[in-house]
Amino acid sequence: MRGGTVRFVLRRLAQLVPVVLAIAALNFVLAKLAPGDAADILAGQMGHATLEFTEQLRREFGLDLPILEQFLAYMGRTARLDLGISLIQQQPVVELIADRLPATLLLMVTALVLAIATGVALGVAAARRQGTWVDNLISVSALLVYATPAFWLGLMLIVFFSIRLDLLPSGGMMQIGVAQTAIGKVLDVARHLILPAATLGLFYAAVYARLMRASMLEVYGLDFITTARAKGLSEGTIAWTHALRNALLPVVTLAGMQVGHLLGGSVLIETVFGWPGLGRLVFDALVQRDLNLLLGILFVSSVVVVLVNLAVDLVYGLLDPRITHK
Amino acid sequence: MTPRNLSRALAVAAIAVGVAVPAAAQKKGGTLTYTFHPEPTAMSTISTTAVPVSLVASKIYESLLEYEGPGLKPLPGLAESWTVSKDNLVYTFKLRKGVTWHDGKPFTSADVKFSIEKVVTPFHSRGKTYFGEVSAIDTPDPLTVVFRLKSPVPYFLRAFQSSESPIMPMHGFTADEIKEGKFRSAKIMQAPVGTGPFKLKEWKKGSHVILERHPGYWKPGKPYLDQVVLRVIPDGAARAIAIEKGEVDLGPMSALPPAEAQRLGKLPSITASQEGSEGLGPIMWLEVNNRSKPLADVAVRQAISLAIDRKRLVDVIWYGQGKPASGPIVSGNPNHFDKKLKPLEYNVDKANKLLDAAGYKRGKDGVRFKLTQNFLPYGEEWVRQAEFIKQELRKVGIQVETQSLDMGGWLKRIYTDWNYDFTSNFTHNYPDPTIGVQRAFISTNIKRGATFSNSMDYANEKLDALFVKAAQTADGPARNKTWEEIQAILRNDLPVIFLMEISYTHVWNKRVHGLITNGVSMYSNWDSVWVD
Repeated sequence: MRGGTVRFVLRRLAQLVPVVLAIAALNFVLAKLAPGDAADILAGQMGHATLEFTEQLRREFGLDLPILEQFLAYMGRTARLDLGISLIQQQPVVELIADRLPATLLLMVTALVLAIATGVALGVAAARRQGTWVDNLISVSALLVYATPAFWLGLMLIVFFSIRLDLLPSGGMMQIGVAQTAIGKVLDVARHLILPAATLGLFYAAVYARLMRASMLEVYGLDFITTARAKGLSEGTIAWTHALRNALLPVVTLAGMQVGHLLGGSVLIETVFGWPGLGRLVFDALVQRDLNLLLGILFVSSVVVVLVNLAVDLVYGLLDPRITHK
Repeated sequence: MTPRNLSRALAVAAIAVGVAVPAAAQKKGGTLTYTFHPEPTAMSTISTTAVPVSLVASKIYESLLEYEGPGLKPLPGLAESWTVSKDNLVYTFKLRKGVTWHDGKPFTSADVKFSIEKVVTPFHSRGKTYFGEVSAIDTPDPLTVVFRLKSPVPYFLRAFQSSESPIMPMHGFTADEIKEGKFRSAKIMQAPVGTGPFKLKEWKKGSHVILERHPGYWKPGKPYLDQVVLRVIPDGAARAIAIEKGEVDLGPMSALPPAEAQRLGKLPSITASQEGSEGLGPIMWLEVNNRSKPLADVAVRQAISLAIDRKRLVDVIWYGQGKPASGPIVSGNPNHFDKKLKPLEYNVDKANKLLDAAGYKRGKDGVRFKLTQNFLPYGEEWVRQAEFIKQELRKVGIQVETQSLDMGGWLKRIYTDWNYDFTSNFTHNYPDPTIGVQRAFISTNIKRGATFSNSMDYANEKLDALFVKAAQTADGPARNKTWEEIQAILRNDLPVIFLMEISYTHVWNKRVHGLITNGVSMYSNWDSVWVD
């Protein structure tokens, strides 16, 4: 890595700290705007709790303190990377996130790789055959998938592949209570991963296919492609070697931006397929006003998003040598 | 009679006379998989008594007694016998010999005293309701526990359910946790040590919980099952699919959406049952803010009650999973429900006349007055019910605007702000109306910020006195007389509009047997459940 790039990365990492802390502060304010608190929810959930009991919970949770005091304590903890204890589950937030993050990352990365590979391939194919039936088929299918609600698509895939054909499990991440070898376990998880990753991936594949097609067509109109054609290069070489690299930039930008979206957007998929990831945890934390857990997850996801954006900036440099990091 | 017919006839006869099916039919081994959502947040009801926790914790922990039938007749449990003094103030329990905790250590009276005094009374949400009158717990020897009460508690013997007063091992808490009172966050809440038939084997958060047989369980030959597995499936339709496919054996406590429960119940391989929750007594009503007119007017509340077709509500919105309500106590409660009561009347003409007479004439647009309704944010059915109520009230000239809030917002608006006209609400009678009914209607429980309290601002001195009387009278005909009076007053005053007795529907694969045993069947320990 060149010295310029190293300095760029270090500077960006330093800039990251105030950005993440500002996000954390904003999260706190937003979370506090919602009416009701975890003591109410827990007491309500337990049924027939006395007022004294609710107040006892509020004291245990530190929710009886003045809001400024709560805010300062929270910011102080966050700055020390201490995410605290979940109010409802009474366990360290870090542990709860660590329990779920691998499943979410597995689903997200698989879906994203699937989406980019499929989307880019279809987009290029459509652009190369602009106006033909291939182009029309790809464009219309992409539009259709894009317009289909993900949870419905998921349920339909379950009905077809799981109930009708009995090929794949209807949900979960693994078979439960069955002794398996290490390879068996990997294969088992892979089998469970197919439907949720396909459901999540298909939606994004549709987005990337449309974007890639438009981007390729734009690049095809540029002078250097005409030059390449004039040199007598084959259409395949022009598409995959010359046009693709240039046309990929918007897709990379969008994929980077969508990581945050994917983290949250997988709630529905995780719900339909019973995938034990973060999405459902953040939803429950929000509904139960589990402030520490909610803020902890938001903090972790904001760090992930900011880091991925930094990575995207670096990938630009690889794809387009004209971009330098100063 | 062929041998096959004979055995069938014998089995029918055995069931008819209440004898358990012959032991030979019960198979040992196998796994029962159930599904519920949300997943439990802990493995003990001390942390929270929410349904998912109660479901799993009741297999791990036990209390002094077990219960039989819908009326929860007490049977020996960790206590093999008990006596009650004539004045109902001293309860002496003889504990079972040779009971061990899941870690092999012996169970003694010290554990009982510790659990009730230090853990259940201060930290269980109903701890003070059950044990608030206890003045002392004596342990004269390791197998004897004596509870001394300040005044009689008629439901005291129903307090010893495993989800209500779980007995926990004193040695399971660290000295620091005990000293600092950190019971709710204690390690044992996540890594339980009980005396129950099952112990925790694996808990993969967000995915599943595996309980396995406790080999040292005190009942010889029990439990039948090797494992009980909980699969967390967040989506209702996906839960139904898992049961339909046979991947999951049981969806307890209305784990499935009502429409799915009704659909699956018709399949030959599946049973959908509404029995086995009588001891919880779930009941649903429209909670009405009695503070200002027109709702402060009893005639208006009576008219609203008359305007709602409860039977249609049950059949159409809830797919038959319930019964029209007759009052505050559910009809399935064999001990306290006034059997003379019929479901509340549906009569639109009468409702219109009542409103006319009360001076609420229709305007040119046919509207008498406008109200805002909230609904309990428990899912789709509650939204549809709100739409149904809106249509019903429209017929008598009441225009309703519906407002949606999530749980945190709903609790705050109803119980802290008291800023609402009416809202759907759902609560439980629990094993005794003094626990479950009194709290919603007694005027001393008009407390800002207390969830599921008397948010209506309903105060009736006569009723208050009756509640106090019922709380101090031993269970029996005299006490039932008081409950009859209470039911009559509430049916007339309608501080809330009683709508329906929601039935918890349990849906299971027919390979599972022996699930319904008493009024809290899903919170029982399942030691006698078996699978084909």
